[in-house]
Amino acid sequence: MFAVETEALGRIYKIKKTRKEPAHTLIALDNVNLKVNQGELFGLLGPNGAGKTTLIKVLTTLLGPSSGTARVNGLDVARQPEEIRRQINMVSGGETSGYGLLTVRENLWMFTQFYGIPSRQANERIMELLKIVGLEDRANTKSSNLSTGLRQKMNIVRGFMTDPTVLFLDEPTLGLDVGAARDVRRFVREWVSEDPRRTLLLTTHYMVEAEEMCDRVAIINQGKILACDTPQRLKESLSSEGVFSIQVSALDQSEFEELKQIPGFRQGTIKQIESGAELELVLADDSVLAGLIGFLAAKGSSIITLHKREATLEDVFISLVGKSMKDVENGAAD
Amino acid sequence: MTSTELSPDVRAKTSALQTMRTSAWLGWKIESNWTDPLIFAIYSIIRPISTAAILIVMYLVIRGGEFGQPDFVNMYIGNAFFILVGAAIQGVSFGILDDREHYRTLKYIYIAPIRVPVYLVGRSFGSILVAMFSVLITLLFGAFFLKIPIVFSEINWGLFFAAIVLGLLAMISLGIILGSWTLIIKNNAWSLGESLGAGLLIFSGAVFPLNILPAPLQWIGSALPISYWLALIRRALVPEIGRAYPMYTDVSDGRLILILLGFTLAYLVIAALVYKRLDFIARERGNIDMVSNY
Amino acid sequence: MALQTKVTRRSGPRLFFQTVIGRAYPRIIGTQRDLAWLFFDIFLPFLSMVAYVYIYRALKAPEEYIGFVVLGSAMTAYWLNILWAMSSQLYWEKETGNLALYIISPTSMMAILFGMASGGLFATTVRALVILVIGNWLFHVSYTVVSFWALFLVFVLTMAALYGLGMMLSSLFLLFNREAWHTANLLQAPVMLFSGFYFPVRVFGFWAAAAASIIPLTLGMDAIRQLVFPSGPLLGFLSVKVELIVLSILSVAFLFGAFYTLRLMERLAIRLGRITDRLG
Repeated sequence: MFAVETEALGRIYKIKKTRKEPAHTLIALDNVNLKVNQGELFGLLGPNGAGKTTLIKVLTTLLGPSSGTARVNGLDVARQPEEIRRQINMVSGGETSGYGLLTVRENLWMFTQFYGIPSRQANERIMELLKIVGLEDRANTKSSNLSTGLRQKMNIVRGFMTDPTVLFLDEPTLGLDVGAARDVRRFVREWVSEDPRRTLLLTTHYMVEAEEMCDRVAIINQGKILACDTPQRLKESLSSEGVFSIQVSALDQSEFEELKQIPGFRQGTIKQIESGAELELVLADDSVLAGLIGFLAAKGSSIITLHKREATLEDVFISLVGKSMKDVENGAAD
Repeated sequence: MTSTELSPDVRAKTSALQTMRTSAWLGWKIESNWTDPLIFAIYSIIRPISTAAILIVMYLVIRGGEFGQPDFVNMYIGNAFFILVGAAIQGVSFGILDDREHYRTLKYIYIAPIRVPVYLVGRSFGSILVAMFSVLITLLFGAFFLKIPIVFSEINWGLFFAAIVLGLLAMISLGIILGSWTLIIKNNAWSLGESLGAGLLIFSGAVFPLNILPAPLQWIGSALPISYWLALIRRALVPEIGRAYPMYTDVSDGRLILILLGFTLAYLVIAALVYKRLDFIARERGNIDMVSNY
Repeated sequence: MALQTKVTRRSGPRLFFQTVIGRAYPRIIGTQRDLAWLFFDIFLPFLSMVAYVYIYRALKAPEEYIGFVVLGSAMTAYWLNILWAMSSQLYWEKETGNLALYIISPTSMMAILFGMASGGLFATTVRALVILVIGNWLFHVSYTVVSFWALFLVFVLTMAALYGLGMMLSSLFLLFNREAWHTANLLQAPVMLFSGFYFPVRVFGFWAAAAASIIPLTLGMDAIRQLVFPSGPLLGFLSVKVELIVLSILSVAFLFGAFYTLRLMERLAIRLGRITDRLG
């Protein structure tokens, strides 16, 4: 049995007619096939708007599938939502939960009551978890008086309070400072590894987070799963090719489009900087460099730095989509 | 300096006008843009008519259905125009809360090179405009269904417009005073303006003469501009009946206008001082970008 | 680091009960934690009550009408609570992100609604009592209670029906309306008029008063007026007995209505994606 399993899962939103635009449908998930094993820490990596949150909503029974099926611990999300809810929990980054006038401890206690946990046990667990995330001295602070980061920590504790077997974390480190994000990542990793029945599905648009934490990663864009494997193997898929970071004295967008025609060019992005332009290129092999250098020379541009480096998940994303994740989020043209 | 460049003085003036125009546009959009115009019109009518109807029924159960009687006419007109008091008072404080807690834009307004009070007054224009519409509807309802004797040709328009302008300025000053207070309240006090507005009904002479109140409450009423303003409105709209209302009977129209002018000027000054002080406190406490999260 | 504390999880009626207590808690604790309510929920409605009392004084109304206003002002607290903290509540919960967390929990949403209602009822009763006591003290209202038991029964049934209505409206507000604030605002004044907060509802005639009786406060207040004021029975709409029967029917109907609209809301929300609007 898989912790999460989807078959040809699709989800569309019907957008009603407004004064400014006609009625239309928006495809949020398109034929998603995914299998997450029990005991796995699984990452969904994709830019904002890729469909990650929609997938989480379907799996947490908040949103029905438009087509296909989705199962959590073998239970169908459409037909057995009550059974699924006994086994899951969810934390969404950037959202607050509970009520500002309650203290941290009271907010957490309130949520444990919705899971039937006796108060004494709940209070002990609250204090233990607060200690782990370094929030124990704020247990009696009203949550409205917490900073965004501390509120997010409280939200994360809420997810772990109820001993779920499948936990969904939607951008859990959003809004956390570097140290706090590191603490959360470490705790999440340990939580999964200490019990083989626990599964964690995490969405993120931070490459490092996906690389560092996840056993397997699915790359998602425009509602489609483009690749799914361990971070290592995803990167190795580019190993026969060469990944280069090159800084050149000058190169504009139209010249970059011409550069894409060089035989052996796979994918690449360009960023204009003060001293010229930065290129991130995936090339078929090292021999393509000769053609590239010739092209740059012909354009009157010189290479300032060039280094070949190991592929990252960002490169994998670029090789699959043709754009960096940031460009996709910013709506860069294809 | 080139010929197209504006002097700093002109720029400052244009900016205040622009601020007022933009924030008034924003206030109106927020007030009206949440639904289609028909529903908005119905929405704007139901509330004032219901509130007026409560008074009508109260009068009906005690006095029977003689709605042409001076005491009812004065009460009805007072109640209709009191809608403007509530709207002006609520407008500013609601704008502050809405921008701070809901849209979370107050901090951006604060760091923009504009005069914040000008923005806040403009922001309240939307609710004042809706209130004017409500006043009109209430009066038309009264004229058609209750035979409230407002005769077009007998209205003293000069007195009416003078009273409206001065009254609105005075109400907006009250709105700024309350709005300034909202700046330092660490609470999601959405109903504050509305409730306090309703509370002022007691001290306004709108629906009953101030002289039936205990003396200390009468003093509060006399220290507010509302009762003078409403007296002038009554005298302008229904001259005979208005003068029969047992308030300020021995004071002439001209003197009443002067009294209202004095109060308006005084409240403008008080509003400026209160705003200055409470704005300082709000910034000191860090309340400008606060979200209560209730 | 393995978690040392182990937790067990109850289900069935115990989970239901725990949920009710859990969700009622913020409302109950709110009354003592945020003392601003003393001002907003008592002092300001109190000013409104004074205004209506003086309107009757100006009209030289019989003293009992002052009592009607005091009673109506106390009951206003409940209507405002139903509008702003029950009907609109699921909408606010959606806005803050809590609704999704309630729905994915294994508890019943009915229990959450019961919790909201019982917490709201408690907090509002404190407010209503304070307004009533101050009003009585200030305006010397005298009561002649016919039957304490009947009065108690009327109050309980009125509240059961009223909060049942509130629970039902909470799903409807969420389902059909994205403008909870405006809807609540729209419903406030007409109900204050037709439910007879300041005067006997029979003045509207039988059919209008009967239609207004869909709001439980209409018959509730009418019955209370009949049970505590000497002229109440003369001004009453229906007999207290009939009003008790209608209130009982309304209680059951609204409770069932709440259950079914909640199910409908959940089903439609999941299908249409309305529980959380953000796409991602």
